Parts: sequence; C-alpha cells; structure tokens
Amino acid sequence: MTILEIWLGILQGFRVTALVTLYGLVFAIPFGLVFGVAQYLTTGPARFVVTSIIEFWRSSAVIILLFVFYYALPLAGLALSAMTVSAMVLGLNIGGYASQAVRAGLQALDRGQKEAGHALGLSRSTILLRIELPQALVAMSPTFINQLIQLVKATSLVSLVTLTDMTFRAKEISQIEYDPVPIYTSLLLAYFIVCYPVALFGRWVERRINPAREAYRAV
Amino acid sequence: MQFDLAFALSTVPPILGAIGMTLLVAAVSCVGASAIGFGFELVRRSGGWGGLFVRFLIDFIRATPVLVWLYCLYFILPFYGIRLGALATGMIGLSLYYSGYLAEVFKAGIDAIPNGQAEAARALGLGRMDMTIFVIAPQMLRNIAAPMGNYFVSILKATPYLAVLAVPEMLGRAFDIASDTYRYAEPLTVAGLIFLGLALLISYAIKRLETRLLGPTAR
Repeated sequence: MTILEIWLGILQGFRVTALVTLYGLVFAIPFGLVFGVAQYLTTGPARFVVTSIIEFWRSSAVIILLFVFYYALPLAGLALSAMTVSAMVLGLNIGGYASQAVRAGLQALDRGQKEAGHALGLSRSTILLRIELPQALVAMSPTFINQLIQLVKATSLVSLVTLTDMTFRAKEISQIEYDPVPIYTSLLLAYFIVCYPVALFGRWVERRINPAREAYRAV
Repeated sequence: MQFDLAFALSTVPPILGAIGMTLLVAAVSCVGASAIGFGFELVRRSGGWGGLFVRFLIDFIRATPVLVWLYCLYFILPFYGIRLGALATGMIGLSLYYSGYLAEVFKAGIDAIPNGQAEAARALGLGRMDMTIFVIAPQMLRNIAAPMGNYFVSILKATPYLAVLAVPEMLGRAFDIASDTYRYAEPLTVAGLIFLGLALLISYAIKRLETRLLGPTAR
C-alpha cells in the first residue's frame, strides 16, 4: 500500500471527525455558557446542584462515559445513534471544562464593572449580557480555543463505538495490510495538521488580548 | 432488557479488584510524566538544536490524541523488535503524552521565579546541577502544585484508555464481565461510577495536601 493510498484512506474518515467535533460544539457551547453563568450567579443549594452536574461531566473519565451512554441509554428506552451519543458525551465533557472557564472569567472581572452598571440603573440581566459576559468571554477565548483542540482530539474515541472517523479508518487499513509504521505515523500527522493551526491561532489570540502577559512570559 | 441492579451490584467486587492495577498505572505514569516533562523543560530552556526539537515535540504531542499515541507505540514498537507488553507500553505512552503537558506547567513555574534567585545561586558558587535541584526545583514546585495536581487527576482519568490494549485495569475488567455475560450497561456503569468517585476523592486529597504542605500562600 503506498503512502498516498494510506492518506486517502485516513482522509475518508475526516468527515466523521469533523462532524463529531461540530455536533459536539452544539452541546458544549450552550452547556458551558449556561452552567458557567449559573454557577457564577447561584448560591446555596442551587449552586450545589449546578456544581454537581458540572462535576459529573467534567470529573468522569470520558472514555467510560462514552461506553456507559452508548450501552446503557438503550436500556432506558433511548435509542440514539452512535453519532448523537458521541457528540453529546464528548460535547458535555468539554462543556464542563468550558463552564469553569466561563465562571472563572466572570469572577476575575473587576467588581467596579458590575457596580457601575447598577449605578447606571441597568438591570442585572443587562449587566450580565452587555457588560460582564463580553469581557469574560474575550478574556477566556484562548482557553476556549484550547478546549476546542481537546474536543478534536477526543473524537478519536468514537472509533471505539463503531463510527468511521480517521482513527477507525487507520485501524481498518492496518487490518487489511500489516504495515503499522506508515499508517499510524500518518494518523498522528493527520491530527497534528488539523490541531496545530488551531493551537497557533490560540497563541495569536492570546498575544492580541493580553500583550502584557506575553511580554512577561518571554522574560 | 432492563437495567439489572442486582447484577450491577454483583459486578462491583470484581471491578473493584482491578483498582490496584488502575492506581499502579496512574502512579507510575504520574512519576514518569513528571520526570520526562521536567527533563523536556530543562532541554528546552538550554536552547540549541535539542531545545528546538523538544519544543516541536511538545507542540506535536499536544496536538495529537492520546489514544493514537497508544496505538502507535503498541503497534510500531514490536515492528522494530521492541516487545514490552501492553502494560509497559501503556504506561510509557501515558508518561510520554502527559510529559508534554507537564513540561508547560514546569515552564510556567520556572518563569515565575525571580531572576535574582538564579543569580544569587551563581554568586554563591553553586553548580548548574545544585542550582536546579536546591534553588529552582523547590520554588517551582511551590508555584505549580495546583496545575500539577490537576494533570495527575487527568492521568488517572486516562488510565482506562489502556483497556483498548487489553490491560486488566477497571474498564478492562468491566469489558471482560460484559463479554462473558452479554450485559454491557451494568458493569460499564459500575466502572464509571467507581472512576468518578476515585477522581473526586483524589482531587479532594490533592487539594488538602496542597494547603497542608504549602500553607495559605500556595497559588
């Protein structure tokens, strides 16, 4: 098998890798936003409930979560496709991490921002949506980009629940022909080609929004 | 088919029996990843071609999935006549993969130490080795205890990846039971809950240890 055939084979799986990432974001973004804000705003028992849900998705081992939901949901009468289950589990796992970034970003804001909003007579929701969230999300954007990379990398797990992503294709090819060195190094390179530009973009964003910190780092 | 609670409970002892293997893999990988990561960071700091290579290697590791690294080592090493077995391969894989992340943590920890410390060590006539071990390392550890602990928990949560190499840790044991009984939901759910409990327990223990060891000044 030539190196070109190997690459074409792995490329066939790119569509599934991209789709799981995209659908995963459909779960991750709303979850991260809603639960991050909820953890920031709530207190007492409500906060405990919010934190518990976040911790469940964040602290579980994602590979086991994927298997549990893949095998256990049908027993509960919920027969979802492997694609839906994968996107949900990977998405909510990353969403759990994102929610912590959202909350930390909100907590890191100067209290004066909120107080100035109150002084101007703005409602709490207006302060949150127009003053606090925009600043917090911009400040945390390098973290979100990092988490996007984590999500892309985690999609390699869906090969274990029958989805034909890049990793699945590589395994398939290596079963047809025993030639592991070019096949698996090509697979590593394929993920690198997808993720590394995103990582570089993240660094660029970090330099843009926080030049002072970058200068300190360079020392 | 319904979720059989009695059967689920009966799978708890055998799955818990594999907790030793899970903890062994996690402990060895934490030590390995810290050692390799610290070595990487020292080489990266020393500059030159070695530093440039390590810098690229760390970026490469961080842009590729851990599952693919495990496949790579597992299938490629025997191709070159290196037969280590699944357990050793898995632990090497996790150590190598997370060393890329820990090197970044060490970098931040060293960057945060004021330059005067290294200059004072040099003024006192300490060699490079003594300076690294007695001046830089202790202060670095103080700076990075929290993020290092987080990555140790990440390594613990990555141990079930070794089940794909047929290492008999907790997820592997759960799959053994599943394939013997044709019931997947119960053993996998049990394994998931045990892992969640373990991860929460260890994060809590690490947090306690941090405040005990480092006092209130710990970041």
